[in-house]
This record gives sequence, structure tokens and C-alpha cells, in this order.
Amino acid sequence: MEYQELKAKMDKTHYIYDETLATVVYVALKLGRPLLIEGAAGVGKTEVAKVMAAALDRELVRMQCYEGLDESKALYEWNYQKQLLAIQINRDQTDRDALTKSLFSDEYLLERPLLQSIRAEKPVVLLIDEIDKADEEFEAFLLELLSEMQVSIPEVGTVRAKTVPFVVLTSNRARPLSEALRRRCAYLYIEYPDLDKELAILRAKLPHIDDKLCVQAALAVQKLRASEAILKKPSIAETLDWAAALDALGIRELTPDALRQTAGFLLKNTEDLDLLEEEDICACGGHCHG
Amino acid sequence: MGDPQVYLEKLAGFSRMLRLEGLAVSPRETEDAAQLILALGLEDRAQIKTALRTVYAKSREEQLTFDRAFDGYFISEEKMRAQAREAMERERALEQGRREAEEDLQNVELSSQQRETYAAMPQEARQRLRSFMDRYRDSAERNPHLYSEFIHSVFARTLLEQQMLMENAGVGGEGADPDIGILYRDISEFKDTELPKAIDIIHAIARQVSGELSAKKRSGSRTGKLDFRRTIRKGLETGGSLCRLQYKKKRSHKKTLVLLCDVSGSMVQFSEFALRFIQCLNQVSESSRIFLFSETLAEADPFRLQNMDLFRGYVRDCGIYGRGTDLGTALQGLLARKPSPLGTAATLLILSDTKTIDQPRAAAALVEARRRCGQVLWLNPIPESKWQYLKSVQNFRNLCTMVPCATLRELAQACRRLTK
Repeated sequence: MEYQELKAKMDKTHYIYDETLATVVYVALKLGRPLLIEGAAGVGKTEVAKVMAAALDRELVRMQCYEGLDESKALYEWNYQKQLLAIQINRDQTDRDALTKSLFSDEYLLERPLLQSIRAEKPVVLLIDEIDKADEEFEAFLLELLSEMQVSIPEVGTVRAKTVPFVVLTSNRARPLSEALRRRCAYLYIEYPDLDKELAILRAKLPHIDDKLCVQAALAVQKLRASEAILKKPSIAETLDWAAALDALGIRELTPDALRQTAGFLLKNTEDLDLLEEEDICACGGHCHG
Repeated sequence: MGDPQVYLEKLAGFSRMLRLEGLAVSPRETEDAAQLILALGLEDRAQIKTALRTVYAKSREEQLTFDRAFDGYFISEEKMRAQAREAMERERALEQGRREAEEDLQNVELSSQQRETYAAMPQEARQRLRSFMDRYRDSAERNPHLYSEFIHSVFARTLLEQQMLMENAGVGGEGADPDIGILYRDISEFKDTELPKAIDIIHAIARQVSGELSAKKRSGSRTGKLDFRRTIRKGLETGGSLCRLQYKKKRSHKKTLVLLCDVSGSMVQFSEFALRFIQCLNQVSESSRIFLFSETLAEADPFRLQNMDLFRGYVRDCGIYGRGTDLGTALQGLLARKPSPLGTAATLLILSDTKTIDQPRAAAALVEARRRCGQVLWLNPIPESKWQYLKSVQNFRNLCTMVPCATLRELAQACRRLTK
């Protein structure tokens, strides 16, 4: 796929992106590498995978990582209940080898996201979300899949990918990822959007909201993010929720009162809300004061 | 940007440069980068930069290093033009200087190198020499030979001084290899922007010195004496024939290092570098204790010295930053500590510029410290050429081994001495 063709497909999804993102996605597709996306929470890392699935017209297979995630949850599991039933039904069968062999066939294999993605008939987009939350052992296990596009199942052998999925890994940098994993991926770091991009996102996602309010909201969020004192910076999703809440309350202009009333949509911890109250951070970008 | 094939050849060099910058770049990445250049072309510089960054840099930190390296290696057209303009300006100024030198130096016999130095000298310096010649022109008519000798000697001296000044400032060396300029320059004169580079160099030198020490240790570990017991035991494996001789190994005795580090106003930058360097040399000693002093003494936690910001913060918190220097009090404090950090296996390493109050008291304490520990080594950041003019240096130099370490190169040499 050529660069311009990719951009045209991304445009169709109405996703607001910049040249950097388009180039990095193109590089990952061109070289057939997984795409590792890092950035603060809520900057739109997961959204990239969703957009790519829509743009490439592929199914999205999502795997959410967490502490203690293991192969049985990520790759495959044997359907024990079904196997037990099969043993009961076939207990009179004399050919035990054939029975054992049949018990470890595809019929009793429960595919988890990783296996599902490489055994799919049509290529999919595989999203491995928040890989930094998984254990290091799981990260090491992923290496075989990411570099060779194959996995080993002891009872079956090596399963090679029927189709090559486009893999997107996201990380909030809660812990550093291993060098080996990084080296196998194309890397993208997403920062919080600047004013223009945020405004464009607001306009695209909430076209019914008054443009003046969009500008004020975008300015306010930029100002809050720039403040060192704010512990949890508002994400793009929170900006959208906040703007929608303002609109739902019938607010047409952002005033300090309106900000205080709806601050819970933007700031998600008590310290930040207290700071907004105590220090009277005026996040309206000067518009409310004329 | 021009033909992609030309840039493909350059890629190998770029990958090597990135490795020097600390990025783990394998041939696979270079191959990927080449593939991208062929696919994307070179019309859009920003796009190709982003594409190569995706391939080469695998973290936020690596991205910043990559950007710096890319901008330095693949110079943009505007920057190239600006550099060419600057080079032309420089060449024009030099040509002008050469013409003026021809006129000025008609009656003076100088080597071509000296003439080049004269041409490169600033206008004021040349003006001074010109006025000097004018002043003595009458004498020249009376005794041309004597005048020529005299003028020559003055010129030669001035030109030599000028050349030394330029070398001290790292001029010339920087152009060829930026590291060399930093290596030979006074540590206290480093600019803030040069500090990261200097720290990289420290780590590189420390690795080198550590490697040398390991090699020395390996090669020198055998005493040459035959170990009969082990030879006979080993011989049992081969039916009693002693075909593999076993030698006794030297027991390694690493030193205990006690660092006494001056962090008074003038010394803090040098101390940072020296401590960082010594920390890197894990081969030097099996244990080390670090004491910081200005007017008083405080012991430092070695783990806090890994980072320059932490070091500065720690020195400020101690309340000893930016004060005067009192080596006598510091040494007395060190000697009075129970249990004593100084012993026969200890090497006392003093990092100071010798500018202390109450020198006799400091000298007496230094004598006592020397009596108690195996070796006293003084790392002095003042250039050795100036030692003869400083009385304090003369006094302390007689009481211990003083090593110059005004530059990173000298600091490395001083650290090599620690193992002797």
C-alpha cells in the first residue's frame, strides 16, 4: 500500500491525525512490524488500532493486558469439560492413542486473542492493550509471536500464522518494556494534542456544539495541561465528555462557575479539584473575562 | 536532497554514529531504513526523518538522541548553504590576514606555520605587533641585524602564546573531533551545553580504564609458583601423569578508597566530574567512602552521587555549598572519626585546589593522615604550569603525591595511578 493510499483510507475514518502518525503507521505496514505506541493515558493510543481496523477493513482483535495474564488467557486453552465428556462417551473405545489424539485436536481448542489473530482466514488488526501492565514473562512469550509470527503449543506443535495480523501494542510507560520487545517494533510516542488538533477533534466528534464553546473548552484544557500543579492531566476523551456535558447543560459560554460545576468531567482526583477551587485556576482562556 | 543511492551509502555511517550515541542499532534496522528511503524517496525531509526515527529509536529518550544525530548528519539544504557561506567568509578573512601578513612581515624571518598563525590572529593582536615594530623602526636603521633578531624573538614568543591560547580553547581540535576539544580543556570552563557530552566521555574513559585494569589483573594474577597440591589432584584425572600444571594465583587485595572532596564555590564542578569518574571505576577499590568539605566536613552517600542534580541538591542540603575552604578542619574531622576510615590499606584521595585557610594546620593534619594511611594522593585541578607560582601547592606537594588533573585526560591518567 502506498503512503497516499493509506492516508486516503485514514481520511475516510474521520480520524484526526498528523503527518507523523501517518508516516509511522505506513512504516509499520511497509516493514510488517508491530507498532508500539507509548504516551500518557488518554492521548488516543487505543484509538489508532481501532482506526487502522476501520481503514484497512479488518476485524479488530483486542487483548487487554493485566498482571497475571498468562498463555491460557492470551493464546489458547483446552476445553476440559468437553474433553471429559468425550472421554466418558468414548470410554469403551479400544484405540486409546486415537482417543488421546482426538482430545488434543482443534475441536477442543479454545482460541484466545493471540491464536485467533494468527489463525484467522482474513488478516486482522491485533491490539495488545497496556502491555506494561502484563508481567515480564508474558512479554518474553510475545517475542516469538511478534518476530516469527508463530506460536508453539506443546500438544499440537508450532502454529504458523495463516495471515499476518497488523499488531498494535500500547503502553502507558508504567514500567519500562524490555529492549528485545522494543527492537522488534516500530515505535510511536503520542503527546497530548496541541490546541489546533484538539479543536479539530472537538469539531469532528461533536459537530453540533457551538464553535465558540469548542474554542473555549479547548483553550481551557490546554491551560490545565500546562499547569504543573495538576496531577492527572485531562485526556482527549475527557475533553470530549466535558464538552458534551457543557452542551447538555445548555451552557453556551464557559464561565468560572460553569467550569466548577462540570470540573468532575475533566479532573478525576480530589487534589486537582481542590486546587481548582482554592487557587481559582482560571482555565477559560481569558474568554470569560472578556 | 538528491539521489537516494547516495544516501543509502551514507546510512551505514549514520547507523554507526547512532551506535556511538548509545542506540542499539542492528544491521536489520539499517536494512529497514534503506528500504524506507527507496520507498519514500527523499523529497520530504520531515517525512524521511519520521520514518527513520520509527525504525531507529525505540523510546522517547532515544527519539531525542536520534533527532539530534539526524540533524547533525543529514544537513538540510539551508543549513548546508549557511555553512558554505560561513566557510567562504572564514576563508576570505584568512586570505585578507595572509595579505596583511605579507605586508607586515616583510623584514621578519618567520616559518610558514608562524606566518599562518599570524594571519589567523585577531586584528587587535596584530595591531599590537605592528605598533611594536613601528616603535623600533629607528633602531632597525642603526643596527639591522640586531633589530631583526629582536623582532623575531618577540614575534616567535607572541605567536607561540597565541597558538597555546587557541589550543587551550579547543580551537581546531573541535573541528576534527568534538570529543578531543573537551578532553583537553579545563574542566571548570565547560559550558552547560557541553556537560552531557563530557559525562558521556567520562563514562567512555572509565570503561576503558576499567577494561585496562581488568586485563592487567587477569594477566598479573599468576605468581609463577607451581601449586603442587592442585597439580597432583588434577593429575589424578589423567591417571597420575602431571600433564596439566597448576599455578598459584595471586590473592587480590583491593584498596579502600577514602575520598575527601572540596565542594567550595570554585571546586563544585570539578568535584562532580571527579566523583562521577571515580564512581565509574568499579575496579579501583572494593569499598570507598566519600567525604565532602568546605568549611566543615560531611559524609556523602555514594548512591546519591550517581546523578549530577542529586549531587548538587545534596551538597546544598548539607549546608557546605559555596563556602570557603578549610582543609585543616576537614582532615582533623576525618582523623577524629571512630571507627577510623583511614588505615594501612586505605588510600586517601584529596580533590582540592589547595586554596585553604590556615595552611600550617592543614599541613600538620595532612602529615598525620599520611602516617595513618597507606597512600595520600592529591588530585589538583590547577594546571601544572601554574603550580610554581602558588605557595600553597608548593607546601602540600612536599607532603604527598600531587597529580595534575585540570582536564578529563589528566583525570583519567590520575585514576590509572590509583591502581599502582
